[in-house]
Amino acid sequence: MTTMERPLFSVKGLTKYFDGIRAVDSFSFDVTEGSITGIIGPNGAGKTTVFNIVTGIYRPTCGEVLFRGENISGQRPDRIVRKGIARTFQNIRLFNRRSCLDNVITPLFQRERCGFLGSLLGTPGARKMERDLYERAFGLLKDLGLEKFASMQANTLPYGLQRKLEIARALATDPALLLLDEPAAGMNPEETRSLANLIAEVREKFKVTILLIEHHMDLVMNICSPIVVMNFGTLLARGTPDEVRENPDVVAAYLGNRKERK
Amino acid sequence: MFLQTLITGLSIGGIYALMAVGYSLVFSVLNFSNFAHGAVIMLGAYVGLALATKLNFGFGLVLAGSVAGAGIIAVLNEKLAYSSLRRRKAPSLYLMISAMGCAVFLENLVYATIGSRFYAFPEFFGRQVVTMFGSSLSLLDVGAFLFALTAILGLHLFISRTRTGIAIRAGVCDMTMCSLMGVDLNRLISIVFLLAGAFAGVAGVFLGIKYLVYPTMGWVTNKAYIAAVIGGLGSLPGALAGGLILGVVETFVSTYVSSVLRDVFSFSLLIAFLVWRPNGLLGIDSEDKV
Repeated sequence: MTTMERPLFSVKGLTKYFDGIRAVDSFSFDVTEGSITGIIGPNGAGKTTVFNIVTGIYRPTCGEVLFRGENISGQRPDRIVRKGIARTFQNIRLFNRRSCLDNVITPLFQRERCGFLGSLLGTPGARKMERDLYERAFGLLKDLGLEKFASMQANTLPYGLQRKLEIARALATDPALLLLDEPAAGMNPEETRSLANLIAEVREKFKVTILLIEHHMDLVMNICSPIVVMNFGTLLARGTPDEVRENPDVVAAYLGNRKERK
Repeated sequence: MFLQTLITGLSIGGIYALMAVGYSLVFSVLNFSNFAHGAVIMLGAYVGLALATKLNFGFGLVLAGSVAGAGIIAVLNEKLAYSSLRRRKAPSLYLMISAMGCAVFLENLVYATIGSRFYAFPEFFGRQVVTMFGSSLSLLDVGAFLFALTAILGLHLFISRTRTGIAIRAGVCDMTMCSLMGVDLNRLISIVFLLAGAFAGVAGVFLGIKYLVYPTMGWVTNKAYIAAVIGGLGSLPGALAGGLILGVVETFVSTYVSSVLRDVFSFSLLIAFLVWRPNGLLGIDSEDKV
């Protein structure tokens, strides 16, 4: 369709069966670098399954996941993270009993090559590195407006802030592609609006490409372009917010077919 | 007499704590009770025994050899018996059943190859005593206690300071999330088993020296299990506290009440904790305990 440069990320013919159920069925789409791409679709359309395959939690039955031209499908989650794909979860999965700062510093530590004995004995070099990491972790919390809560246990934060903390933790893995699974779930309209601004800011500041699943249509229509619509595991439509809104198939999938309803 | 009893109790408690640490480490990461841990302790003791009697190694080398041997055995145990279940995301009950199978298998392997004889370690410490506050204490008891304390402190530093230790703590919260932070889970779990095995090796050598080496000696880990529950399964300071408390209580009961009633007290303590404080003294919340 387009002869522009190669997409940062694409999925080709992705299929996932759970026993007899076809959760994702020859699903293909591209994400261009720097975009905020939205995935929408009715519940059970297979959106989260796509995220789980992309991040290596599930193996696809068949199909390819291409990241910077390399097929990463079926690789281990830790490998995929290191290639630059990070995610958040629909049902928040923080390290609950640890402080916010600890949550963010965990991935930072994993990227560092720190000497084993040095850290064990607390040598000056190791301490300096540790201080740097804490500074970076604190900086990330600050970027998401969480610095006041740094020492609080993660699961004691209000719901909306826990979602932000998940984003901070995902950013700490230094991703090129950030997958957000229903970042606005459970938020009121005002919180949703401020989240939309935050997502746009994060894209600018961290130079990440964002792919997000969302049910809040105002958020998707405001910040996402293009939008990919899934239904029953397949691609239903793809286009700008206006194109998607006008698409009769999309309207039918969400509201039911007019003839059937009569 | 009192001080002697206390030190004997602390030394046994230290050994319990070493064993409990192995249980706790595996439990906190994989959420199942690794009943094969006793068999690893037993094999560690046999490795130490072989080094001491066949090669006439000194105590330090025996301990190092046993640590390495038991560590490798624990890692192999995980690779062969647990990793395929883990990959299929089997419920933790299956892992526990597999662990029991391993324990029975390894014990009978020793019966079939080495035999059921009881072996004694050469007398490393002789009857050496240290005199403290007017009581004479066995060097072995004091040494075992101090060594256990140092080893557990070392482990604590490892868990709280190093990159791998931080990954282990993240894994305790959420394994999948931990891998999404860039942690190779297979490697992490191997390290956890290596550590648990190393502690099993130390415990095996001390147990073997204090008592004897025989195929079913691993069942003394029942006590370590009690210690881990008292302290709180999955908690390292808990394992240490639980082990020491149990060791001291047992020794005092044998000395001042009756040695026949010793195990009655230990198991009553277990029941009492499970009824009134199922998370132990320092444990984390957990519903799934066997």
